[in-house]
Amino acid sequence: MSKENQKEENAVNESYRQKPKVAVYVCHCGGNISDVIDVKRVAAELSKYPNVAISREYAFMCSSTGQDFVVDDIKNNGINRVVIAACSPFLHELTFRGALNRAGLNPYLYEHVNIREQSSWVHKNDKEGATLKAISLVKAGVEKILRQDPLNSIRVEALHSVAVIGAGIAGLRAALSCAENGLDVTIIEKSDSIGGNLRRSGNIYPTGEKASSIPENLSKKVLSMKNVKIYTQAEISFVGGYVGNFQLNVKKSDGNFEKVKAGAIIVATGFNHYIPHEGEYGWKKSTFVLTLPQFNELLEQSAGSEIEIEGKKIKSVAFMHCVGSRQIDGIDKPGKNGKVNDYCSRICCTAIIHSANRLKEKFPYVDVFDIYTDMRTYGMHHEKYYKDASKNDVIFFRRPLEERPVVEIGSDSIKIKTKDVLTMNEEMEIEADVLVLGTGIVPNDISDLVEYLKLPRGSDSFLQEVHPKLRPVEVSNNGIFIAGTAQGPMDVMETLQAANTAAVKAAALLSSPDIPLDPFVAVVDEDKCTGCGLCLAECSYSGALTMMEKEVNGKKKKVAVVNPALCKGCGACVAVCEPRAINVAGWTLDQFDAMVEAIAKE
Amino acid sequence: MNGKTEHNCDTLIVGSGIAGMQAALDIGDAGFNVIMVEKSPSIGGKMISLSKVFPTLDCASCITTPKMAASSHHPRVQMMTYTEVKNISKKADGFEALLIKKPRFVIESECISCRKCEEACPVYLEDEFEYGLGVKKAISIPFTNAIPQFPVLDEEKCIRCGACARVCPKDCIDYLQKPEEITVKAKSVIIATGYEITPMDAKKEYGENKLINVISSLQAERLLAPHGPYGKVLRPSDGKIPDSIAYVQCAGSRDESIGVPYCSRVCCMYAIKQAMLLSGSLPLSEITIYYMDIRAFGKGYEQFYNQARAMGINFVKAKVAKISEDSQHNVILRIDRQEEGSKPQEVKHDLVVLSQGLIPSRKEFFGLDVKLNEYGFIDSPAKTFSPALTGIDGLFVAGVASGPKDIPDTIMEAGSAAMEALNYLKTAKIS
Repeated sequence: MSKENQKEENAVNESYRQKPKVAVYVCHCGGNISDVIDVKRVAAELSKYPNVAISREYAFMCSSTGQDFVVDDIKNNGINRVVIAACSPFLHELTFRGALNRAGLNPYLYEHVNIREQSSWVHKNDKEGATLKAISLVKAGVEKILRQDPLNSIRVEALHSVAVIGAGIAGLRAALSCAENGLDVTIIEKSDSIGGNLRRSGNIYPTGEKASSIPENLSKKVLSMKNVKIYTQAEISFVGGYVGNFQLNVKKSDGNFEKVKAGAIIVATGFNHYIPHEGEYGWKKSTFVLTLPQFNELLEQSAGSEIEIEGKKIKSVAFMHCVGSRQIDGIDKPGKNGKVNDYCSRICCTAIIHSANRLKEKFPYVDVFDIYTDMRTYGMHHEKYYKDASKNDVIFFRRPLEERPVVEIGSDSIKIKTKDVLTMNEEMEIEADVLVLGTGIVPNDISDLVEYLKLPRGSDSFLQEVHPKLRPVEVSNNGIFIAGTAQGPMDVMETLQAANTAAVKAAALLSSPDIPLDPFVAVVDEDKCTGCGLCLAECSYSGALTMMEKEVNGKKKKVAVVNPALCKGCGACVAVCEPRAINVAGWTLDQFDAMVEAIAKE
Repeated sequence: MNGKTEHNCDTLIVGSGIAGMQAALDIGDAGFNVIMVEKSPSIGGKMISLSKVFPTLDCASCITTPKMAASSHHPRVQMMTYTEVKNISKKADGFEALLIKKPRFVIESECISCRKCEEACPVYLEDEFEYGLGVKKAISIPFTNAIPQFPVLDEEKCIRCGACARVCPKDCIDYLQKPEEITVKAKSVIIATGYEITPMDAKKEYGENKLINVISSLQAERLLAPHGPYGKVLRPSDGKIPDSIAYVQCAGSRDESIGVPYCSRVCCMYAIKQAMLLSGSLPLSEITIYYMDIRAFGKGYEQFYNQARAMGINFVKAKVAKISEDSQHNVILRIDRQEEGSKPQEVKHDLVVLSQGLIPSRKEFFGLDVKLNEYGFIDSPAKTFSPALTGIDGLFVAGVASGPKDIPDTIMEAGSAAMEALNYLKTAKIS
């Protein structure tokens, strides 16, 4: 739901006070649901259910027409509570709350029943069963909404400031955009200078410029902004607060602490290059086995007509793709976390080809070999670099996906044995002076930050967005955004775009004086509360629940008090409260009882 | 030409696919006014016609409809559909765009989207939303979840029988409606004009679009869509359920002979996705993907590819040299298998999908002096600073208009273009 919609929610009509008139809508989801579930039957069954005034089915409830049904029934048919049986609430709950809002009904008098993920998709081969289950679930939804009070979103004040963690190009880009937008920005960088990995990455595609000039250009602009503060060699020791009002304790380089306040946090902690295991493709067994970043540095530093290592003239170089990427369980050795890196690191193929071309241009006498499995030169001009490499006489070997080349370190050269698809899977032997390992990308170690900010990580260990298309730079924790390679491998352009997207979300969030939050938080019935404090022990959100002396019905007593901005509505407190004094708004125990009753009755 | 109207906005967004909608929402949410103009009768772009989307396998409608609904209901976003942008010129105080609103031959302010006109119309046409696989009426709402829900009358195919006008309860069919000229004054502009796919007859060795059982990748999307034209996968020539289906990769990319030497970035993944969906709906069919390199480079994509291999989809490293058919319209592929030393071989499949590439949707951009690269995509002069910039102050680009990319990357670019537009609006000296 857009912020605008939420702003209007106070313009509520009072119809909910009248006798409940529930409207039920069953969505076909274009066949996702109706191919399995008999939606007409579900709607017909529900039309007979007590308090249901209208029951319809439609192809796409989320479409404009579908939403118009809801608005129209509220406005013209006296509907004061709505149940929609459709997809996961994750997708469309907000869409439909928006529709209620537009119709002038409190948006929380809405119940979203998931009959897709929870019925049609999982019971494909049991149409009758899926239909009956859907009927039960929708009836439970009706029972729940009958016991629903209108709710209002919690409003918290928004500080017009952003904390950016990490000063690589993602952090710098996000900081610059936020600052230009008028927000106060604090950049917190762990290392002693800004610029991140690009400070030492040689020459870079797609522009062919010196990599370090990219962060330099950005930081020049960032440093010229009056509303940006930068702490280097700074560490975050604690993060408190909530969206609109975070507090970060920062340990500065001088050992002193600084409290940074921010309305939003952008996490731009970047990546690290994969470090091979000792012995992996000859790593650490010879000074002539280098990683790609090491080789790029050597290449940039080498002047004159020859490229040398330790005084030895290099006559041939072999590049190996997918070192630390696209690993396979059982074939590759797992890392410290016990897992192999099964993902593609995205940028290495083009980076290798780019380096191979640079090498051939600078030192045309060098023989260059390239051992790959799929050439992923996907970007706008990357295919041209690949063509150029062929023209530059780079010799390609394509290893089968599940085969691993064997590296033997000789006294004078390195021998690489690999099967080659390009020559009918023949066993090939390549001799080269130098072997360059096209190492992949791994996320930086940010376990402390992950804990402070409760950041979700995917199975690939990168930070995990809520949804790659719906909420691509957000995490489940409100007000925290991720930018750049902390989220997954990206090249320079992609990183800059992602950073700007994180910035725009922060800017939009902080564009108004306050931020609406979901009202699904714990509510204490002070009459029933015995002050036992069991709930306090269960609460995992510091500051969300406290015990306080209060006057209740003329008597002083100890009761639990909720800070709605910090409460996440997890319900852990509800479970331990014997007198049923705590409820999560919108999910009360009475509602659950009624839902179970409705399902069990069948 | 009917009357002229004039509108003002902070940002004019050209195109309402996923890039345009996302940029509109981001700018609107930050408190600025947007006009989003779309040449088709509905917003939603290509994405709304897709089946499911990789790598999450969410149905495309499930992701696109909320964005469509949100942008159409957004108090700061005004959409102008079925409207062509003729020209945009840079003025001292921003941009001035000349738009032509095409006639739907329906009075929109009166129409209640009841579809009675569509039911009454006796003329059947090829349905472009189904990429020719289905039929529609000469007056029809473009597709089920279209926004807005107004029917469009096909002026050329309409036989003027009057059936629609007779049944219309609001009397809002207007056969004499004329195009309308609209002027939009905008402080900034975002180009989000997206792409077209390489034509089926781009490569003459691939049957020149004359082989009935060789279909386009977008047609395959519709066959696989939950609400597709047939509700199941059938091959066009005889309605038979195909036992063997093949994908021809790079059929419109990485190929200098057709002028598309670049990689289109999405074809490997959409072919894998379609293959997975096919193997779900036709578990007994053999599915083969002929490819050069599998480019599963995005987040979660390699894992998606591995899942497809585990499902038993055949991946064959081979170039397809020629496509022809036998007397039963079975498709014959002449392939060079890389693993077997390029010995040509002929293989037969019931149905073949061409994994076509992406090309720019336009040859020029409304008279704006914007730099294009050699392939016709908008070329940013600030690739390593802010790639959404175009070199013209106040003009930004998002999505495939600047080069092929998948949906997640497009959405990131939309946010980025919105950010740049917002900061331009805040800082530039424009009235």
